[in-house]
Amino acid sequence: MKPFEKYLLNRTTLPNSHTLAVYQANGGYKALEKVLKKPMTPAEIIAEMKASNLRGRGGAGFPCGMKWSFMPDPAKDPRPRYLAVNADESEPGTCKDRVLMEKDPHGLIEGCLIAAYAMKLQAVYIYVRGEYRKSYDTLLAAIAEARKAGLVGKRVMGTDFSCEVWMHKGAGAYICGEETGLMESLEGKRGHPRPKPPFPAGFGLWGQPTTVNNVETIFNVPFIVERGGAWLASIGTQNSKGNFLCGISGHVNKPGVYELPFGVTAREIVDEVAGGIWKGRKCKAWFPGGSSCALLRGEDLDVVLDHDSLRAKGSSLGTAAMIVMDDTTSIARVMEIIARFYDHESCGQCSQCREGTQWLAQIFHRIATGHGKPDDVATLESLAKGMAPAKTICALADAAAIPTLSAVRIFKSELEECIRQAKDPLAPPRIEYAGAH
Amino acid sequence: MTKITVNGREIDADPKKPLIAACHEHGVEVPMYCYHPGLRPVGSCRICQVEVKQGDTPARVVAACRTPIAEGMVVNTESPKAHDVRRECLEFLLKNHPLDCPICDKAGECDLQDYSFAEGQTKGRTHEPRRKLEKRKSLGDVIVLDEERCILCSRCVRFFEDVTKQPQLTVSDLGSRSVIATFMDKPLKGNYQGNIADICPVGALTLKRFRFQARVWNLNKHLSTCAECSRGCSVTAEVLRGGETKRFRPRFNPKVNQWWMCDTGRFAFEHVNAADRLVATRRGAEGLAACDLDEALDGAAKSLRGKSNVALVLSPFATNEEAAAAKALASTLGAKTCFVSPTPNALKDDFLHTGDPCPNRRGLTDLGFAGLAADDAAKAIGGASVVVFVGERVLELFGAERLAALANARVVVFDTHAANAPAVDVCIGVPVHVEKNGHWTNVDGHLGRLTIARSAPRGVRALEENLTRLGQLVSPTGAKA
Repeated sequence: MKPFEKYLLNRTTLPNSHTLAVYQANGGYKALEKVLKKPMTPAEIIAEMKASNLRGRGGAGFPCGMKWSFMPDPAKDPRPRYLAVNADESEPGTCKDRVLMEKDPHGLIEGCLIAAYAMKLQAVYIYVRGEYRKSYDTLLAAIAEARKAGLVGKRVMGTDFSCEVWMHKGAGAYICGEETGLMESLEGKRGHPRPKPPFPAGFGLWGQPTTVNNVETIFNVPFIVERGGAWLASIGTQNSKGNFLCGISGHVNKPGVYELPFGVTAREIVDEVAGGIWKGRKCKAWFPGGSSCALLRGEDLDVVLDHDSLRAKGSSLGTAAMIVMDDTTSIARVMEIIARFYDHESCGQCSQCREGTQWLAQIFHRIATGHGKPDDVATLESLAKGMAPAKTICALADAAAIPTLSAVRIFKSELEECIRQAKDPLAPPRIEYAGAH
Repeated sequence: MTKITVNGREIDADPKKPLIAACHEHGVEVPMYCYHPGLRPVGSCRICQVEVKQGDTPARVVAACRTPIAEGMVVNTESPKAHDVRRECLEFLLKNHPLDCPICDKAGECDLQDYSFAEGQTKGRTHEPRRKLEKRKSLGDVIVLDEERCILCSRCVRFFEDVTKQPQLTVSDLGSRSVIATFMDKPLKGNYQGNIADICPVGALTLKRFRFQARVWNLNKHLSTCAECSRGCSVTAEVLRGGETKRFRPRFNPKVNQWWMCDTGRFAFEHVNAADRLVATRRGAEGLAACDLDEALDGAAKSLRGKSNVALVLSPFATNEEAAAAKALASTLGAKTCFVSPTPNALKDDFLHTGDPCPNRRGLTDLGFAGLAADDAAKAIGGASVVVFVGERVLELFGAERLAALANARVVVFDTHAANAPAVDVCIGVPVHVEKNGHWTNVDGHLGRLTIARSAPRGVRALEENLTRLGQLVSPTGAKA
């Protein structure tokens, strides 16, 4: 792997990195100062964001500057407007935002303030996953510290710019990480995703213009402001720019969250960064970006980990949360666990998703426990095709269908073997959890 | 209006409504479960998928209830792609549905059943047992919930949110474990609970009073108007072959009640299904005795002929047609007139119920009848030598004790039930409101139509016919008697 410059995780290794003093001593709030004192106009910031070609890090990879520019002009549309930061990180395998929130909360707050200034809004909501207590507490303390220092609240840094940052804690539902589900949840309702259109930029939180961004996306903003969009655009591959946080988990020697530039291959990550597959085994399958992406084979590890290359392989980057499985892994068991997750987390609005996720979970459970029927693999495939793509309000049905389709495509013979033998030859010892089928 | 093309036909669509409304208004069938024209669309059941092509982009399959109308859009509801998506969706909806249609009250008017017949595959692919949930959960005095049948369209939830503006129901729990519930299992309240059984697309919400009462295909359905208040909601009277009225259900009327009605009106069967209906009785040597209609009319004419100081008391349930006949009779008899005005009740609300239990107050007033409370009516007819009571339930509303107090007058009655007071000479049966044609004028001046949902008991003729004949018998020339 070529040497590269880290910027996202530099501060996180310092002692007391979560405090304002350490943050400011390491160049913190300089970007905000540049924005407010120089001053930069909101349009200039959005132009920099567009120039940087930063793509959202929450999974969909939508260009961030473009998203910001969808917000209506307050001169024509005087409604209140909001930024919601999606910190409801609950995709299986994904744990990157947690590092940022626990170790460098001020970086996120500074990013929020600059984003608020750029989109001319006065209130930011950070929606933190309920289980992330430490993230929540750290961020809350950091906001209090920043407010005391005049960085959050009325007249930020003595200028005319005012912005509040509020925290909101989720109650443990995966679906509240979907942007419209998140908004419903923030409003105090059940986290049922809303149909789009209308899009959040026109009708979001409480019906007002709203932008929803991922933590890591917002975290990139101060760096872009400070060093310029062209700097970020100089890192990475054609359509994927900058460094990204790769959370690698599963059967590797050194799982963890690593900062990497776009352009490295998955094999480089597994072998050089994560210390290789454990116990000297081979990689059988891997998810490139959390459990909602299509499974890839071990041979596919040579793919470059960016949006375009993974798309060409029939998968996607998602949240760049690699889950690596060695050659002793039972795919039936993996898919059983994943399907059960989506069954558990479906909000229940759309027919396909509510019933389909349950159905998939039931079939995979049967196959994994040796009760598969001869038509199960065909049924799985047709169910998954009935659930996706874009047949439901949000993408949860797709998220359940995509790994299913890939498993059926790539590991069809293994699943059929489980059914034929009426047992899973690779079955690990089973631990049944409460609530299991 | 916006021009769009649906299945090759160009139509004018209302751009304020979603695509599915345009399809329905122009006779194009698109199945729907969560969509209801009276409720906010949520697009959650996903059954209304149709193929839409806009501009040069390739055709997409979209949920018609959440797709806004756009100029020039080309819609194909029957494309193979749209069909496939709907069939897949239907299979998912049926995955956990108990398929207990043979014992389900909704069978025969169930959207899920109908569409399964039209589109679905005949074989299920599931090997798993179906979801086991509460089969008869009481949601208060009116509604029973069958959680297994529920397809979670959330129409009932939105009814209370959007229509009565008093949210009471919610979807509880997540995903495939979702159920409809009230907060802490509190019973539903309010006078509009029955509507959620109407809008439930499956048999999940049923009326306690209609459960296991009739198979819906045995019910003859006739348009009618609710008799319970001066709103006069348009309803369908649904009658078993034997003649028993089993259901009143709201009928869409944009000017009066939209899709809704109150529970008071919905369950107002007591009067229409009352037994021992009067045909005709006449006072003879042995007191009042049954006779045929002609004899009774003769008797009535005899009591009235040559009498001055006659009074005519009309029922508040009289139709405009009956009231006109009564007015003509009154002018023949030179009678003073009024109608019994029932006292307002406490059911008034800011949605439909007006609190005035007189369905035709406006129509009767327009025809020159004054509405008097029973006591005032008794006073007004105090000195009369003959009193004619006309119309269904008039004696009940006038009061038996007041009738008994009319010692110095002779009484002729047209009502559904006979009265046995010393003053009564003749009683002649009348049809109840589900047995007649006519009109009521509601509080806002809209005409509500009544049609014959079932025939009146043998020998009972239309009231206006009898009144006209009585007038002719009293004064064959039509001149004032």
